[in-house]
Amino acid sequence: MSEGSTMAAAPPPAHRLSRLRLSWRRLSLRLGRIGLGGQIALALVLSVICSAVLILLAGKNPGLAFLAIVDGAFGSPHQIGTGLNRATPYLLAGIGVAICFRGGIINLGSEGQIAVGGAGAAAAALLTPALPAFLAIPLALAAGAAAGALWSGLAAAIHLKRRVHEVLATLLLNFVALLLVQQLLAGVLGQTGAGFLQSPLMPRNVWLPKLAGWDAHLGIVIAVAAAALSSFLLWRTPFGFGLRVSGASRLAGAYAGFSLPRLTWSAMLLAGALAGLAGGIEILGLHHRLIEGFSLGFGFKAVTVALIGAIEPVAIIPAALFIGFLETGSLAMQRQIGVPTALVTVIEGLTMIFVLVAMSGRRR
Amino acid sequence: MIEFLAASIRIATPILLAGLGGILSERAGVFAVGLEGMMLIGAFGAAIGTAMSGGDALAGLAIALAGGALAGLVVAIVAVRFRADNMVTGLSLNIVAVGLTSYLMRILSASGQPMAIHNALLPVMPIPLLSDLPWIGPLLFAHPPLTYLTIVLCVLFTLLLKRTEIGLTLRATGENPDVVFASGLNPLKVRMLAVIACGAVAGLGGAVLTTQQVGTFTDGMTSGRGYLALAALIVGRWTPYGTAAACLVFAAAEALQYRLQGFGIPVSSYVMQMIPYLIGLAVLAGLGRNAHLPAAIGRPLDRRL
Repeated sequence: MSEGSTMAAAPPPAHRLSRLRLSWRRLSLRLGRIGLGGQIALALVLSVICSAVLILLAGKNPGLAFLAIVDGAFGSPHQIGTGLNRATPYLLAGIGVAICFRGGIINLGSEGQIAVGGAGAAAAALLTPALPAFLAIPLALAAGAAAGALWSGLAAAIHLKRRVHEVLATLLLNFVALLLVQQLLAGVLGQTGAGFLQSPLMPRNVWLPKLAGWDAHLGIVIAVAAAALSSFLLWRTPFGFGLRVSGASRLAGAYAGFSLPRLTWSAMLLAGALAGLAGGIEILGLHHRLIEGFSLGFGFKAVTVALIGAIEPVAIIPAALFIGFLETGSLAMQRQIGVPTALVTVIEGLTMIFVLVAMSGRRR
Repeated sequence: MIEFLAASIRIATPILLAGLGGILSERAGVFAVGLEGMMLIGAFGAAIGTAMSGGDALAGLAIALAGGALAGLVVAIVAVRFRADNMVTGLSLNIVAVGLTSYLMRILSASGQPMAIHNALLPVMPIPLLSDLPWIGPLLFAHPPLTYLTIVLCVLFTLLLKRTEIGLTLRATGENPDVVFASGLNPLKVRMLAVIACGAVAGLGGAVLTTQQVGTFTDGMTSGRGYLALAALIVGRWTPYGTAAACLVFAAAEALQYRLQGFGIPVSSYVMQMIPYLIGLAVLAGLGRNAHLPAAIGRPLDRRL
């Protein structure tokens, strides 16, 4: 216990100190024992507790509010379909973010990539009005994915060629993308006299078909398939291995002969394509026209979803569904109990923070 | 022309304040992605504080300062203490800030609608004598109080960083925390304090929006200014004067947009709004390899307590 006098000497071993007091380290060691899934579940519980306090602050009953969310999310096939539709873009973009995360690349640009993807899909659909559905839909979705990949490629180019940090490149390009889509809507893609920035309604043959008996469109099926494929890519292919090795340690990756620039390009382009696809699906499946700000906040939610899903594509499926249903249900909460839906954003952000703390003990 | 430049200074004020806060954080080695959220909380705190205290702007500013510092504390705990990724921590703070301010605005009024706040704006305070000078007078000495404060802080921060031991410790923590540790100080503590101070200053930056420019709080009213501040401080190479110059360029682009529209020149406002971001990207890309990031930025510290 002679800490004070030994300051000048070598620091005492950390394990001895951590035994002396209830330290942060000790707390996280305890948390380490419940596994990553348990940690994330705990993070979710904590953020729900925090939001319960916020609901109390509003003078409402948290129990009733949460019941209203569940009822609003699962009360009818229509609501379940809405929840599934809502989860779709988060799932697709979240997979892309997770793939980048695995490679140690932080892609915060999903928002812009989704917006540009939506614009690409809308442009393709409006340019080819006479095609039959089985051609028109894949074409429009491919255009959306290509546009998204183009946008993330731009960020990747700025990052790799000019050494700008990828977070800044992707973040700043988000704003440019949103404004670019607004400019397109004010110009070539826009519908004159709408009073609101939007494109004309798309021909019915590019609308995504609905799943039989549900209000959900085909998007969720595409997204789940993408999750399965991405999981395979990440865990069963040389590309995935290289990405994970380089993400864990740049040095080890380089030593094993993986080209970091090439991995970065692939991961970013893949993430952009997935986000672009998400934008295309949102346009073709839900809005049936390009509208201003349709992707507002999606990019950040994609990061939330990727983190809750432990940056593992298949685990992101329940994470995206959770956020999707939470948002659908929160509308009912606002209607029935009078708790503002903004609460959901708080839950999302807090969950992210708690997940970050929970994951802090381990290396990605 | 003078008017245009003066308008640029006014528009630059909140961005520069946030940028100054960000310099503290980044110089100490923590990426300041949370600036947007800190600003938003500051803007909210200033609006609410002023309204609740019956129009006392100082109370509003105090709450903005405290709110921003609290946001900084959250980042400090998560990113410094728990060694979480700086970027993602900042981003989550921004999300919490959007949700929390918007939620509180609604529950503070019983109706479920956002609370209606209309505070009086801080008045322009021309400095006697100096403001009568030709050219320089209206440009530099006829502004609302927080703009003066920003200019003063800009000078003070330069002195602090370059000439004081505190500044040296701060910079050393961002460049080589081991040296700071070896000199008997705790780099962890330095970083945490720096991030908290960053939050306080950025919160003040947000307060500029509500007390000096708009007079009310609306959801997400910072609308990307925090990210612009982040770009500005990098473009300005982590120095207060450089950041100020970058903020002025961004603000000039915005001021120019209003001008051109006022003159009836058909210019797309969307393209004009892109300009600050494009300039930011272009300058960042131009700096390229020469940009000297604080060497240990974003690198988590061991808990050596």
